Amino acid sequence: MTRRRLHRVGYNAAAVLVLLVTVFPIYWMVATGFKRGPDILSFEPKWLPIPGTLENYRSAIAKPHFLQDVGNSLVVVVATVVISLALAFLAALAAARFHFRGRAALIVMLIVVQMVPLEALIIPIYLSLDRVGQTDQLAGIIVTYLTFVLPFSIWTLRGFIVNIPEELEEAAMVDGCTRAGAFRRILFPLVAPGLVATAVFSFILVWNDYLIAYVLLRSPEKQTLGIWLASFTTNHGTEWGGVMAGSTLFAIPAVLFFLLVQRRVVSGLTAGAVKG
Amino acid sequence: MFVPRRRRALATVALALALALVAAACGGSSGDGDKSSAQSGPRTMTIWLMTGSAPPAVVDAVNAEWKKAHPNDTVKVELQQWNNITTKLDAAFAGSSPPDVVELGNTLVAKYAAAGALQDLSGSRGEFENNQAWLQSLTESCTMESKLYCAPYYAGSRAVIYRKSMFDKAGISQPPASLDELQSDAEKLMSTFGSDKRFSAFYFPGKYWYAALPFVWDHGGDIAVQDGGQWRGTLDSAESQAGLTALKQLVDCCSRADKQGDELKQDQAFAQGHIAMIVANGWEKGVILDPKQGNPKLEKDLAAFPLPGRTGGQTAPVFLGGSDLGIAAKSKNQDLALDWVKQLSGTQFQTQMATVGGVIPNTTTLLNLHADDPYLSVFDATAKNSRFTPTSPNWANVEAANVLPDMLVSIFTERASIADATKEASSRITDVLNSGS
Amino acid sequence: MVRPATALAGRTTTRRRLAPLVPYALLAPALLVLAAVLGFPMYRLVGLSFQQYGLKELFAGHGTWIGLRNYQDILTDSFFWTVVARTIAFAAVCVGLTMGLGTLVALLLRNLGRPMRVLVTAGLVAAWAMPTLTAVSIWQWMFDFEFGVVNWVLTKLGFEGYSQHNWFDQPLQGFAVIILVVVWAALPFVAITLHAGLTQVPAELEEAARVDGAGAWQVFRHITFPVLKPIFLILATLSTIWDFKVFTQIWVMLNQRPSREYFLLGIWSYSESFGVTRYGKGAAIAVVMVLLLMALTFFYVRQMLKAVGP
Repeated sequence: MTRRRLHRVGYNAAAVLVLLVTVFPIYWMVATGFKRGPDILSFEPKWLPIPGTLENYRSAIAKPHFLQDVGNSLVVVVATVVISLALAFLAALAAARFHFRGRAALIVMLIVVQMVPLEALIIPIYLSLDRVGQTDQLAGIIVTYLTFVLPFSIWTLRGFIVNIPEELEEAAMVDGCTRAGAFRRILFPLVAPGLVATAVFSFILVWNDYLIAYVLLRSPEKQTLGIWLASFTTNHGTEWGGVMAGSTLFAIPAVLFFLLVQRRVVSGLTAGAVKG
Repeated sequence: MFVPRRRRALATVALALALALVAAACGGSSGDGDKSSAQSGPRTMTIWLMTGSAPPAVVDAVNAEWKKAHPNDTVKVELQQWNNITTKLDAAFAGSSPPDVVELGNTLVAKYAAAGALQDLSGSRGEFENNQAWLQSLTESCTMESKLYCAPYYAGSRAVIYRKSMFDKAGISQPPASLDELQSDAEKLMSTFGSDKRFSAFYFPGKYWYAALPFVWDHGGDIAVQDGGQWRGTLDSAESQAGLTALKQLVDCCSRADKQGDELKQDQAFAQGHIAMIVANGWEKGVILDPKQGNPKLEKDLAAFPLPGRTGGQTAPVFLGGSDLGIAAKSKNQDLALDWVKQLSGTQFQTQMATVGGVIPNTTTLLNLHADDPYLSVFDATAKNSRFTPTSPNWANVEAANVLPDMLVSIFTERASIADATKEASSRITDVLNSGS
Repeated sequence: MVRPATALAGRTTTRRRLAPLVPYALLAPALLVLAAVLGFPMYRLVGLSFQQYGLKELFAGHGTWIGLRNYQDILTDSFFWTVVARTIAFAAVCVGLTMGLGTLVALLLRNLGRPMRVLVTAGLVAAWAMPTLTAVSIWQWMFDFEFGVVNWVLTKLGFEGYSQHNWFDQPLQGFAVIILVVVWAALPFVAITLHAGLTQVPAELEEAARVDGAGAWQVFRHITFPVLKPIFLILATLSTIWDFKVFTQIWVMLNQRPSREYFLLGIWSYSESFGVTRYGKGAAIAVVMVLLLMALTFFYVRQMLKAVGP
């Protein structure tokens, strides 16, 4: 009896440690955003932001074009996620349910493409887009993000679809369904967790990006939030209060999105993975 | 031909999506059409300025003035961030529609000029106001192989910002007029305030090479010299080493700054109240007093003096920072761009840059604008005795390779002797400056 | 050859004639996008690696063909081998810690009571959702030379030397901090996924083994892990690819100016391309990086191909 109690205490202690390590940096970020300047840069850390100030948040939001940046980021993220899901689903269907020449090569290509460092491709991508007049256009950026998101999405969705037994579709087709109908009515709902998982990864990649947006966009009204966040560090030094306040704001949509879908993501990933 | 509707629909959707994407990619270039259209139509000109360089009011005024001469054309000013700017510039200049006018940090100009990105303005030099009185170092930064590739925009120089109350408490009545006096004053401050473990009399972050160069120059040394086409690093000369030795003496006794850090945090650190002197740009006072990051209460306590030289009464030559305005070689609006640059670099708006923006204007004739401001006039005075980095297109690579900061760090942390560290740095500089692309 | 579904036996021959086109039609949109925006630049990247391509060539639009010289320069440079070793070591440590600690946390989650488990999961999710730039900013601030919390705590604990300490002076310490940041951000994903996978492990088997006298490690090794293996492998492979490519964390933590002792392959490629504008050499380094990664993940890829079939 006491042995189990000891175990319980031990586990809870470990849990507290894990909690501390994961959550403290986040707390520190949020708290610093509320601190006044001298409190942020004091040699003795101030654990609680009291007295606090909203000045950091106010000036972060007051940065020129902030609302436009938010709008641009949302447009770009939503467009990329939706389009990539559609394209990836179709392609994954092909790779999972059909045999055709080049299938193995396709799958290898999808993995290899993920190994290429993004930074190395910036100038070639810029020049390609430049040729069709798509630099400094949100459409150009969306298409660029699509290419970085598609390989992983197709590969992941293919894994999910492969794990759903074809017999289910075949049964539906015996009952009179067409192949496409079977895809739509039987397969799609079962793959939903996989779609959610893929959507999350696409969201994170696009939301976090700085370098692509910075190089491809120039007009002040076309910037995204990644650039806005980076603007707190200038050659005049870093405005730490602003960085923390800005970072907090920047992280909120991502956190919200995650909290909403995290259970689906995980269940989907494990279902897809267990059967290999 | 009988094709079941569902499958046809699926394939059609797929095809339609593909076409839509291609159309979106190729079609929506409405914004960029103007620039390449026939010269008769209204034109749009793009200007890239760096954030924080010009006060918005000045930019608006320049645009308005320019509009008077070009009523049918539009000017678009886009502010860019300094971080990774070279990546962005590389991409933009390589593309088909770079910005027409671009503000370039003066150490970056040579690189882009040599690569053919900037328009040769030698023929138009005479059209720029004050072009005979431009600040020497800025003009140097714009000149490559005797050709002018940009117009000086504004300058920034460094001096020592100090706390008057601390000087008073330590019994120093006058700012030091020679290097020896600086040394002894710093030591006096250390003994007065040294019980505070965080106190620095002369706060000097290890990587602060802009502030280390004055010591080298003052003792007669230099970064590199050009010997008939070939560059030779000279940081290992006896004079350069003497300068660095003097600096090290100052840092050893009187600086508790991070020997491996850079100067980006020094203003905020200064505002914390444990520092007596920093080597700083004029605008850094604004950061020290900023309510969000600094301490506005210090306003009355701040003053500045030029970095003294070895010989009493002379100031040490300082590094002249600043920016220039270049015109892209590929620009299709050369005439519009030239007019705009002439405006911003001309007397009217340089005056505004100095009075409103607090920067050093590009011409010596305007250097008296801050005459009644005891603080800013110190910085203007130092600008008259200023030097620059080697005007080689490869200099930017030396900076990118961190040669100078690395050398300073190994000197201050005593990982290498001054002789060894400078020898290594010099040979690296010689290599990089002389390398083909 | 398209394999017709068994239930299609009674359909018309026309459909069977068009059937082969369907997979290609499904693939077309995605492949079109990839080919246009990724394919072309990648083709260009490989092309760049065979050229001498500096700033002048970039603006003129073409470079000088020098064949394999970039690759020769790289492979004969002793610095290259240092960087490769460093990158592999860095990735190995990151992956090892992420997978190891992730497994431990997953096991811990299984053994917690409901309220505690929800709390810890929430914490993990919050850390997981943190954008990279944000995470790096916080950690950089916490490890700051003068104002960082970590130095303050260490000083209070009695380590006097940490009162004003630059963590990036010694690359070993600096990399420790960077690895901490990378693992901190990557661990939640692994932990949560493995925890979900653990729910698929039949509890009766584990119980039976324990009753038979097996120790905790043996239970894990013979019962738990085999069930987890597929997920574990996928996570490990993904982690390897991602950790090998780490760039932002190092770049931003060292204020965009990492010294050569901090160079990993990705950073070196970027620095060659944009720092000293030797795009040809930078491209060659990137290509070598991809080849190396392919070699490292070879076994997993081969396993995948076997599962895919002909």
